[in-house]
Amino acid sequence: MTFCNLKSLVLANTMGVLLVPGMALAQADFPTKPIEMTILFGGSAQTVGQVLSDEMSRASAQPIVAVSRPGGGGAVGYSYAQATAADGYNIVWNSNSISTVYYQGNLPFNYEAFTPIAQIGVEVPVVAVQSSRGWDNLEEMVAAAREQGQPLRVGVSGLGSFTHIASAALFDKFDLDVIYVPYGEGRAPAELLSGRIDVAVQWQSQFQSHLRSGDLLLLCSTGAQPLEHGDVPTCHDAGAEGLDITMWRGLVAPEGTPPEVVSYLEDLARTATESGSFADIAVNLGFTPAFLPADEFGELIATDDAIIGQLMTDLGLNNR
Amino acid sequence: MTAAAVAFEPHSLLALVLGSFFGLAFGCIPGLTYTMALALILPLTFTLEPMMAIGVLVSTYVGGASGGTVAAILVGVPGTPSSAATVADGYALAKAGKASITIAMATICSTLGGLFSLLVMVASVQALSNVALAFGPAEIFALVVFGMATICGLAEQSLVRGLIGGVIGLMVMTIGQDPIDGVSRLTFGNVNLLQGVDLLVAMIGLFAVPQVVSTLFEHKSGSSTIVDGKSVKVELPKLGYIWGYRWNILRSSILGTVIGAIPGTSGTISAFLAYSQEKRLAKNPENWGKGDMGGVVAPETANNAVTGGAMIPMLGLGIPGDPATALILGGLLIHGIQPGALLFVEAPDVVYSLYMFYGLAYVLVTVIMLFGVHLFVQALKIPPHLLAVAIMVLCVVGSYSLRNSMFDVGSMIVVGFFGYLLQKARIPLTPILLGLVLGPAMEREFRTAMIMSGDSYSILLSPIALLFFGMALLVIVMSLVGMVRSRVPKTA
Repeated sequence: MTFCNLKSLVLANTMGVLLVPGMALAQADFPTKPIEMTILFGGSAQTVGQVLSDEMSRASAQPIVAVSRPGGGGAVGYSYAQATAADGYNIVWNSNSISTVYYQGNLPFNYEAFTPIAQIGVEVPVVAVQSSRGWDNLEEMVAAAREQGQPLRVGVSGLGSFTHIASAALFDKFDLDVIYVPYGEGRAPAELLSGRIDVAVQWQSQFQSHLRSGDLLLLCSTGAQPLEHGDVPTCHDAGAEGLDITMWRGLVAPEGTPPEVVSYLEDLARTATESGSFADIAVNLGFTPAFLPADEFGELIATDDAIIGQLMTDLGLNNR
Repeated sequence: MTAAAVAFEPHSLLALVLGSFFGLAFGCIPGLTYTMALALILPLTFTLEPMMAIGVLVSTYVGGASGGTVAAILVGVPGTPSSAATVADGYALAKAGKASITIAMATICSTLGGLFSLLVMVASVQALSNVALAFGPAEIFALVVFGMATICGLAEQSLVRGLIGGVIGLMVMTIGQDPIDGVSRLTFGNVNLLQGVDLLVAMIGLFAVPQVVSTLFEHKSGSSTIVDGKSVKVELPKLGYIWGYRWNILRSSILGTVIGAIPGTSGTISAFLAYSQEKRLAKNPENWGKGDMGGVVAPETANNAVTGGAMIPMLGLGIPGDPATALILGGLLIHGIQPGALLFVEAPDVVYSLYMFYGLAYVLVTVIMLFGVHLFVQALKIPPHLLAVAIMVLCVVGSYSLRNSMFDVGSMIVVGFFGYLLQKARIPLTPILLGLVLGPAMEREFRTAMIMSGDSYSILLSPIALLFFGMALLVIVMSLVGMVRSRVPKTA
């Protein structure tokens, strides 16, 4: 193994010396061994990551292997990948968590430690309530919450999690008295059904079967664009003017990865994301494929980082 | 009928056999768990027919949940945390030359527990999923406290030592990011410590390392006992023998199914609860922990009854009860199968096939295991010091593969070293494990309940919570009374 790596290293160096601007050739040199894709979380994020690595492997000369490195809200995986060589053999299936975990104070570096490869898709938190409460839209819920004289209980995935930040951005617009109840992934819908909380802000896929059975109702989605499925208004249209909170997921590599390697990976990501089989599976998992090239993805990461930093400061969760 | 036809199709059966073997292998090997088996096999099911995918996932789950017993009994190292309660009596029985009958008995009880939970699931999945809804943070906290109280019953000689063990377990689990605010605790700025000490890593360290170290010491001093090849004979339990444990099996099955249906709890808690419940009801509780078959039957029945129980909220509500069912849920979603009340109306064939697969997987696993016993007991012929080395290798592999982290291997060795010292200090290991298993849930549920109620303790006074608190109190008082009684005649 070591011998092979050494050999390819020597080879690559020789090539580099001989053909300095030879981009096309350099591209053909990559990859010469399997590429590791670090997965930071479990649940549907992990499953989508595995499907993506499968699809990318199909188009690649070498397999892309999904390796789970969970823990610390993403901090463990980010730290691992950041410490590896910037040669494109270690990429991260990342998300806005790079910003949340940084502002929580659990990472010594921020998003700038990584080079963007591509955005793969988005997930949008939705606001759900029990149908039996009789709240047909966001404004009715807000009015009822003001009247009930006690704080509104809102179920989120964890304090400082993306759903928490999205909820805070939403309810701050109405100046409501809110208690955020942190549940692990997946439990908030059950707590909402049992009536222990008034509202749950989670991913749409988690509510799917309860929406269709009519037990739960979606009031709005926090993104700027309405959801593809279901007749759900955006929170902006429902009365929370200017709200636009969307979680993206994409791929990044350690800072300093050669541009030709990044563009090779970007092409793989594009092919995989735009393949029909990926889209089918992703939609079943509540994930909306939405490819963005490296440069646009980089700009998005930077803008969102500023927004998340501000929101976390407002919530008193910014430890920077 | 169509469901039966689907389940008996050749490729469905093939899927079941593959899954069962895969799950069993992961369950048997200390350090590899069925959660890991499911995570590994999940990508393979992406491209399979939906029914085959369900078959593979369900049988991997069932196989893994049954396999953990083997290592617990043969070498005293549980293959999965839910088999930890089996170690005390199972390993003692194996050392007394009864390895084969113990493994066979554990397998049969596992299957009976699993099939019992399947029947409950078939009969009342929709009714029981409402039980899951009745358990909020306050109620689960009360249940966990009840689980903690069983430490009193498990501390064999000294209550104080048992409690010390429990507290050590709780303390270890506070390392890392706290479950509510994400504040890092006791990490000293080390990113790797943020992930905390994984339960499995700690378990491997606690059970395997002290075992390996003492075996090697014994070998060095020449006092190790090599099992005579002829003494390893295979003996399977007779029907009458199993019938003798019918009430134990029934009670443990009910307990396991109910605990399984409550989200956020696990096989480990149910196994320990069943163990302490049956120990209390046993005619000869003083033999428990020294090789009583009842001490194998109870936890093994309960931890498999959990599998059906955990499927109840998963199928009925789409809420996974543990990480393993979460992976199965992911596998179903990929194929466009959305669990929930509507699934029973819109796609009953999927539900019935799942039941068929589940039942068939248990039958298959039992058959494989009963044949496998002949093979497993051969491990006893291996000289203990060589077996110890093999176990150590598996432990290192297992702790690494859990999260692909060398740091975890280090943690395992550190925990193991302390485990050895603690054993020398006669601190029992099971209370430590209970602290490890229950600590995170106890903290998370209590703090969530407090956040919900705006820091008012009245939330802990719901009827269900009070019931469990009452039971916890009862367990503590009963063990104290028993302890005082047994001490009085000696001093008098």
